Amino acid sequence: MIDRTNEQWLADLTGKPDVQAPALEDLRYRLQRGIFYYLSRERSDLTHLSGQELGQMAEDLAQDATLRVMDNLDSFRGDSRFTTWATKIAVRLAISDLRRSRYKDFSLDGLTAEGEVLPSAGDTFPTHTAPTPENATERADVMMKIERALREALTERQYQALSAVALQDVPLEIVAERLGTNRNALYKLLHDARRKLRQHLEAQGLSTDYMLKLFEE
Amino acid sequence: MSLHEGELHKLIDCIVTSHYDDCLDCETCARELDCLAERVAMGAKINDLLPEVATHLCCCRDCFEEFEALVAILRAENSGQLDGIG
Ligand SMILES: [Zn+2]
Repeated sequence: MIDRTNEQWLADLTGKPDVQAPALEDLRYRLQRGIFYYLSRERSDLTHLSGQELGQMAEDLAQDATLRVMDNLDSFRGDSRFTTWATKIAVRLAISDLRRSRYKDFSLDGLTAEGEVLPSAGDTFPTHTAPTPENATERADVMMKIERALREALTERQYQALSAVALQDVPLEIVAERLGTNRNALYKLLHDARRKLRQHLEAQGLSTDYMLKLFEE
Repeated sequence: MSLHEGELHKLIDCIVTSHYDDCLDCETCARELDCLAERVAMGAKINDLLPEVATHLCCCRDCFEEFEALVAILRAENSGQLDGIG
C-alpha cells in the first residue's frame, strides 16, 4: 500500500481507471482494517460474533463506506489527513448500521406524558439508600414538580424525544427516524426541551444544584 | 410509564447538563470531528482545542460515540496495531 498525500489521494481517486482502481482498493482496505479493529476491540456488544463474522461485517461496511467517500469527495476540506476524513465517514456508517439493527423494533408508541410519570417517593429508592424522613418528603415534592414540569412544559413530541433519548438511552439517530425528522433537528428539539424543563423548574425555585444535592446517592 | 431511580437521575443529569447558550448542532460537530480526533489521538485535550465542540460532545451521545470510535481507530493506527489486521 502506497502512502499518499491528501492531494495524491484526490488525484488518484479521480484519475484514469489504471490509477483509480488501485487507489480505491487501498482506500477500501484501509477502511476495512479500521472498521474491523473497531468492531472486534471496541464493541463489547459484539463479542458473541466470531472473527469471521466480524471480518465479513467489516468487509461489507468498508465496501459501502468506500462508495460513500467517493460520493462525498467534494466536501473534503483538507483539514485532516484524507484517510482520517474517510474513516470518519466509515465510522458513522458502521455505527448507524449497528444502531439500526439493535433498535429495529423500537417504537415511540407508549411514550406519552399521560398518566403517572413518576412513582411515589417510597417506591423509587431501594432501602439501602433510604433517605431520612424529612428528605423523603422533600424528594417526593420535587419529584411531583418534575413530573408536572414534564407534562406542562413540554410538547408531546418533546416529551417523547426526551423520554427516549435521555431516559431510555435510545440513539438520537433512531429517535429522529421514528419522528420523521433528522438528527440535527432532533438535537435542537431536545436542546429546547431541556432548556424549557430547566426554566420551568427554576421558576419554581428548583435550581439544578439543589436537585443534584437532594438526589445524590 | 413510571420512572425508576436510575431514570430520575438521568432526567436530572439531562436538565443539569443543559445550557442556555445556543449550541453547536450535530452537522457542525461532524464537520470538525476528523480534525479534532486526529489531534486528540495525538494527546491533545478537546477542551483546549474546540470548546464548543467539546460542549456538544458532552450532551450528544450519538456524536460522542462516533468521536470516540474515530479516536480509538486513529490511536490503534498510530501505534501500529492495525498493521496486522485484514
Ligand atoms: Zn450531535
